[in-house]
Amino acid sequence: MKKKILPFLLLILALLIPLVFNARPSIVAYINLAIIYAVSAVGLNLLLGVAGQISLGHAAFMGIGGYTSAILMIRYGIPSIVSVLAGGLLAGLFGLIIGFPALRLKGFYLAIATMALGTAVTDVIKRMEILGADRGLTNVPPVTIFGYQFSSEFAKYYLYLAILLLTIFLVNNLLKSKTGMAFRAMRDSEVAAKVFGINISYYKVLAFVISSFLAGVAGAMYGHSLSYLHPDMFGFGLSIEFLAITIIGGIGTLWGPVLGSALWVIVPRLFGTKLEAMAGVLFGVVLILVVLFLPRGLSELIMRINKLFKKEEGERS
Amino acid sequence: MFNLVLRGLATGSIYSLTAVGIVLILSTTNVMNFAQGDTGMFLTYIAFFFILRGIAPSLTLPIVIVAGAVLGYLVYKGLISKAKKSSHLGMMIITLGLTMIFEGIVATFFGNIPLLFPPLIPGDPVHFGSVILDRQDILCLVTALVVFGILSFILYRTKIGIAARSIADDEYASRVLGIPINRIHSFIWAISFGLAGLAGIMTAPRLSLQPLFMVVVQLKAFTAAVLGGMNSVTGAIWGGLILGVMENLVAYYVPAIKESFSLLLIVAILLFLPNGLFGSREAGRS
Repeated sequence: MKKKILPFLLLILALLIPLVFNARPSIVAYINLAIIYAVSAVGLNLLLGVAGQISLGHAAFMGIGGYTSAILMIRYGIPSIVSVLAGGLLAGLFGLIIGFPALRLKGFYLAIATMALGTAVTDVIKRMEILGADRGLTNVPPVTIFGYQFSSEFAKYYLYLAILLLTIFLVNNLLKSKTGMAFRAMRDSEVAAKVFGINISYYKVLAFVISSFLAGVAGAMYGHSLSYLHPDMFGFGLSIEFLAITIIGGIGTLWGPVLGSALWVIVPRLFGTKLEAMAGVLFGVVLILVVLFLPRGLSELIMRINKLFKKEEGERS
Repeated sequence: MFNLVLRGLATGSIYSLTAVGIVLILSTTNVMNFAQGDTGMFLTYIAFFFILRGIAPSLTLPIVIVAGAVLGYLVYKGLISKAKKSSHLGMMIITLGLTMIFEGIVATFFGNIPLLFPPLIPGDPVHFGSVILDRQDILCLVTALVVFGILSFILYRTKIGIAARSIADDEYASRVLGIPINRIHSFIWAISFGLAGLAGIMTAPRLSLQPLFMVVVQLKAFTAAVLGGMNSVTGAIWGGLILGVMENLVAYYVPAIKESFSLLLIVAILLFLPNGLFGSREAGRS
């Protein structure tokens, strides 16, 4: 019973957020950005934390999703539900293509290859006139479902929150399924997984496809939300950001990427515009500290504190 | 045509300088250093700081090398040697954290606005018959030649260099033979970061100085290192030079794939030529 109360309270808190910041839509806009980041980071976490494959080109999939959804809506007037999904699917298709090099490459070399492919995607977008080339794509319409335009930050918030919760629900189920177990077996020891009859090639490519699908959906949300897209937004820098978000939040944990995204978007605002770049230094330091001391990221910190409390309770009774 | 090749060699020598740093660190410490480029960026900003204080641009060369060596030593002693217990990917992520720190510091103090870095040797381009070369290009080529000469002397003729190569060969056996692993490692990190600074200060006058200006160079350096087989310094040098020339020719004859050329090359080589052009033994891409 006690277990059920906390998530319920958090959900109510999440639903109330827009009412609290009613007078300041800009804050809600940042929260929306954090949610978009979280959806993408959940995808990277699945790849990196669960399946054990590194990617330094995650942002490129966001770009593919963002551009696809925007173009489908602007040029062909396709409804948002379809276009966002199409963005995710096309990104997933590219994930399939990039998944194949992953079959032959490991560790460092996979990192280099994904970095190169990710950068190549932005270079190609820059050369495509239909995608606005180097000028970027302006006037991307907001998400519209059955005639309702999600143009205010508050409307977007509820939509994006729903998408994030759905994503986490699905990923959670995936982790408990046979696929999730296969991913983890592959991460822990490829040889052992093979011995148990797990088709490594299939699951590696599948991990890339699912993670890039989520990145594509997040990218579509990103484009519709900012109403502007530029190839440079999805460069190597953003890929590194996602890697940092995932690791700082806690790789392999369900809510780590959400925690990481929230910190990543909110903390720089606390520094003020003048010192915003210092936030990068802070995150760099935290990233290094996490690698050195907290293999499960900041989620581990929370878990440890939780355990401490539980122990005390146990001793008392 | 000849002009294109020479200019390609000048660009390539910068790639080589960066690639050599990456390969030195990778082959001895087993860390893929993603901070090689941004270290150069950071050191170049330090040089720029001195130039703003009125020091002649050419005098910043030794400053950058020494500062780089100190930084490399500190990074190894303070971070990498502490992280040896964590995985190789963990150490790679530490270098990514370093890039965030460097970029953040520079952006805080200098902003994101592109700055003009003065050429180290001012003056008009030099004519050799039909060949025209910028003085900066000549400086790049000469510096690279000198550096590679010194480097191969260190690696093949001094005790430290031979120890470093033996660690690259077999760390465990070297430890058994009593080679001071930690000291050699920190020496290698110092050299590599010095090279990073050198590469940065050579690149800055050609592009404008901004926090991300070395990211592209680092990508090219990875291509060069992969081309050279990832485990030999000679391979990295040749890889860089070849890449520079190829890139210049491609940009001239097939401008449409100018940017993506080296990126696709990297993937193709990793997949089909896992040992690169000059790499020896171990195909193990792990």
